[in-house]
Amino acid sequence: MIVAALIILGPLAAAVLILALRRLAPALALLGAGVSLIAALFTLSRVANGAAYSATLPGLPGLPLRLVAEPLTAVFAALVAVVGFFVMVYAVGYMRGEGGLVRFFAGMSFFVAAMQALVLAGDWVLLLAAWELIGFSSYLLIGFWFERPGIAPAASRAFLYTRSADLGLYAAIFVLISQTGTSEISRTLQAGGAAAVAAGLFLLLAAMGKSAQTPLHGWLLDAMAGPTPVSALLHSATLVAAGAILLIRAFPLLPPAVLVVVGVVGGLTTLVTGLTALAQRDLKRLLAASTASQYGLMLLAIGAGVPVAALFHLLAHAAMKSSLFLGAGVFQHASGDSTELADLEGMGRARRLTFLGFVIAGLALAGVPPLSGFWSKDAVLAATFVSPNAWLLAPLALAGTLLTGLYVGRALRLLWRGEGESEPVAGERWMGAGLAVLVVLAATLGLAMPPVAGLLGAELSEETLLVAAVGLVAALIGLALGWALPTGRLLGPVYGLAGRGFRVGGGFDGLVARPALGFARALDVFDRGIHAGVLAVGGFGLALARVADTMSDGIHAGVLAVGSASLAVARASRVIDDRGIDGLIDALVRGTRDLGARARELQSGLVHRELLLAAAGVALVFALLIAGSVGS
Amino acid sequence: MFPLVSATLFLPLVGAMLLVFMRGSSPRLAHAVGIAASGLTLLGSILMWARGVTGEGFSQVEEVAWIPSLGAAYRVGVDGISLPLVLMTAILFFVSLVFSAHISERARSYVALFLLLETACLGVFVALDAVLFYVFFEVSLVGMYFIIAGWGYEGRQRAALTFFIYTLLGSLPLLLAILALYLGSEPNTFDMRSYIDSPPLSGLAATLALIAMLVTFFVKTPVFPVHTWLPLAHTEAPTAGSVILAGVMLKLGTYGLVRFALQMTPDALKQLAPLVVALGVFSALYGAFVALGQTDLKRLVAYTSVNHMGYVVVGVGVAAATTDAEVRSLALDGATLQMVSHGVVTGALFLLVGMLQDRAHTRDMGAFGGLLQVVPVLGWAFVLAAFASLGLPGLAHFPAELQVFLGTFYVYPVAAIVVLGLAVTAGLYLRAIQVAFLGEPLGKWTGMKDLGAREVLAVAPLLLLTVLLGVAPFLVLEVIHATTAGLLP
Repeated sequence: MIVAALIILGPLAAAVLILALRRLAPALALLGAGVSLIAALFTLSRVANGAAYSATLPGLPGLPLRLVAEPLTAVFAALVAVVGFFVMVYAVGYMRGEGGLVRFFAGMSFFVAAMQALVLAGDWVLLLAAWELIGFSSYLLIGFWFERPGIAPAASRAFLYTRSADLGLYAAIFVLISQTGTSEISRTLQAGGAAAVAAGLFLLLAAMGKSAQTPLHGWLLDAMAGPTPVSALLHSATLVAAGAILLIRAFPLLPPAVLVVVGVVGGLTTLVTGLTALAQRDLKRLLAASTASQYGLMLLAIGAGVPVAALFHLLAHAAMKSSLFLGAGVFQHASGDSTELADLEGMGRARRLTFLGFVIAGLALAGVPPLSGFWSKDAVLAATFVSPNAWLLAPLALAGTLLTGLYVGRALRLLWRGEGESEPVAGERWMGAGLAVLVVLAATLGLAMPPVAGLLGAELSEETLLVAAVGLVAALIGLALGWALPTGRLLGPVYGLAGRGFRVGGGFDGLVARPALGFARALDVFDRGIHAGVLAVGGFGLALARVADTMSDGIHAGVLAVGSASLAVARASRVIDDRGIDGLIDALVRGTRDLGARARELQSGLVHRELLLAAAGVALVFALLIAGSVGS
Repeated sequence: MFPLVSATLFLPLVGAMLLVFMRGSSPRLAHAVGIAASGLTLLGSILMWARGVTGEGFSQVEEVAWIPSLGAAYRVGVDGISLPLVLMTAILFFVSLVFSAHISERARSYVALFLLLETACLGVFVALDAVLFYVFFEVSLVGMYFIIAGWGYEGRQRAALTFFIYTLLGSLPLLLAILALYLGSEPNTFDMRSYIDSPPLSGLAATLALIAMLVTFFVKTPVFPVHTWLPLAHTEAPTAGSVILAGVMLKLGTYGLVRFALQMTPDALKQLAPLVVALGVFSALYGAFVALGQTDLKRLVAYTSVNHMGYVVVGVGVAAATTDAEVRSLALDGATLQMVSHGVVTGALFLLVGMLQDRAHTRDMGAFGGLLQVVPVLGWAFVLAAFASLGLPGLAHFPAELQVFLGTFYVYPVAAIVVLGLAVTAGLYLRAIQVAFLGEPLGKWTGMKDLGAREVLAVAPLLLLTVLLGVAPFLVLEVIHATTAGLLP
């Protein structure tokens, strides 16, 4: 149990130690990978004898994390551990003299740990987490020389392609968990009906991203900008294998309708990327296109209904392709760090031992017996020939086999013909050691296939000599033509298109990135418009306030006017009061005084005047009396 | 029982008062007081965390009668939803004050305002009385206004004013809703617990109150289309101000959504749930796309906040819509955890962008290039925080977003298109990293200094928490789930 845990914990501890100590990076990385290797082989042997390990870790409420080591997962774990260890050995030699070793080996160790967590995952959440983490490691490792031009875009593109396709994995997980109420992978595979179709298609989308299936294959060629050990480990044997591993594990879930789609996608990829490989002028890009093509063959096998054939090819391909990459890395160092085929002309002659390994791995890839590739490819072909859709899948598989021979032949020719000069290569022994082991595996893995089939309790398709012969013939024809004919003649009108990887409409940049950016910028303008609207509301409020202020001033002026008017009335009243009424009274007083003064004069005391007044009075009285008696 | 909650709540205010009376003190002393006060507050919240919460209702409740006839009292307490937010707030304020130790201009006022703001924000999360909640809600605006206006960048006056008036106007409907809740409750009380245990409103009154609450909390969260104050306030605020604005104050809105809208008018929210979820989905995708179109790093991070808060709104809407208790707790767990994750991750991002701006006096990512070689600590910290923000598993946002998305798929499968936001945020962050940090460094930046001790002390705890929340989310989810498991009947 603990041993099984070491498969993941070994490399993880190595990564943490490397980052913490910042010394002895290569040694710690080798130690971590070595621990993982021993633990994986030990676990595999135990599982082969009938044991099964599982562990549960706390995750989310109702969604615990699970690890499980059973036959299928133990085989994958062993694969990752073997390739991981020997590529790490190779990397020690390859990276000699490079800066940033701490970052490199920590990244590689972290990747191995994450990949092991992925293959050993027993529940979807852990699988998803590991799936994303290997993508993150890939980003860090492809971008290792981030200061060089062209590297950063390659790393970003790889991450974005796969992250977008990973939304399919998210969606599939939602469907499966909501359908079955659990996140345990083995229990969810029993789902059926429309949910299985939906989940299957979403899983295929995620697998297409990681395994670089058409139309999502462009990122893999660009990923070759990273260091060659990264290309050998991640982008040939493990990370890109994750898609195929997912489909193999989920095979019980996939209904026939989905399998057809899987097969078609695989077949299309085999064809398109095989042609692309033929037209590449860079050795690593050729190998990358070849990788996508081989994974297409694996998907063909799954689509044909025989996942164990895909598994064989996955194992064999891991050894073969990583060997090819490791050989390419030696040539790269020998030519002063170039992988252009033009610069590598004749390098095979200059470094014959490496070239021998390259040839063995290449012939294995093409499917020449008794090398491992023959057996695995034969299994794939047999599966497609007996499948219900043989009319569609078998020709595609055969075309793939032919194309494989073609580009392997081409690569061998370009490496052999010409005068090559090799510079001294540092770290030769380490590189040679790693390469040698993997080449041996590439040659002999065919022997392991029956035991593996027995372990998994799977049956291979009926072995017919016809299929084997047809496959062999296709491979040999391909090799011969690839060796003999120049590529322009082979591809003819398709050459330009193939060279560009069959990119249509501007590829990812033109179809996705630039429109998204343009849309984003338009939305930004729109958003600023909304804010301007908000500010306009504020401005409107300010304007209203100003109007209210003016009105308020007006009202105030009105109030003041009323006040002034009252004051005016008051002033008028005072004037009237002062002059009018007072004047009147003054006049009255004066008049009265004047009258009094005049009346006084009557009282003169002079007798004659007083007699006169009395007589006048009597006369007046007589007059009045007479007038009164006459009137009545 | 020692009134730990009240002590933790008012410690920053005590510190602020101390600073007011310390005339003529040096900036160093002012910052020391601030760090000490917020450090003690952090200690208090850790003790609160240790005390824990029970599953039933609110724990650690402290009550002092105020106006018995009105039913208004000083009531504070926490539950599984507010306790993580309290701890997050204390951590973010402590880290911000540590980072701000270099400010020498009117340092006393700066620290005092931050401490006042801390009390206001903590008060919102621990308040159990509606009036108290509202008071703290509004006081936080005052504190932030002065921080932006006094220590911000070029457009600070306008930004502060816009922020203040916009969110103040937005808060007024909440007051109406609180009054409606008060009048509807039998007997009339402002006690939030009684609103939750027996929702006082029903029918049209509940719907109208809910709409009023949604207006307030959508402005605060923020949700499209009332979000435009956010980029302005974030870019003009000083670095620590942006950290608090994004890390804490946005959560006042989402917390209110859960506490008021979900718990006090559950039936009305259930009816409006499709609209809320739709708005949340739209806001999340909209925020992500607009962030993609930015070249100003601070504006870019500000819009990703709109995106992340959109996920929270979706989670709350889904929790309201479903009748299945497990799905409800799943969605609510995710929404609450997302609030905490966002505070930690976006706080780190704003700190790092602020550090970059301090050195380069520009935020335009086009002006940079190859910085990873020149300032590796800052660069790798940014890469880590950026990958956390885009939802990489093993880092903070992944568990929360997974829960929200899964819950959404259970209830509204169509709304699962919200996962497209993950692809867009991946694109925008990778673009920012590529343009600003990768490639060859420009000549003028080769002398740029890497992070100093103060800056590392400020950002490292947040990055550690980012990893911790990603790898061991159950540490926080235990507390959250204790409450959400039995939230609505």
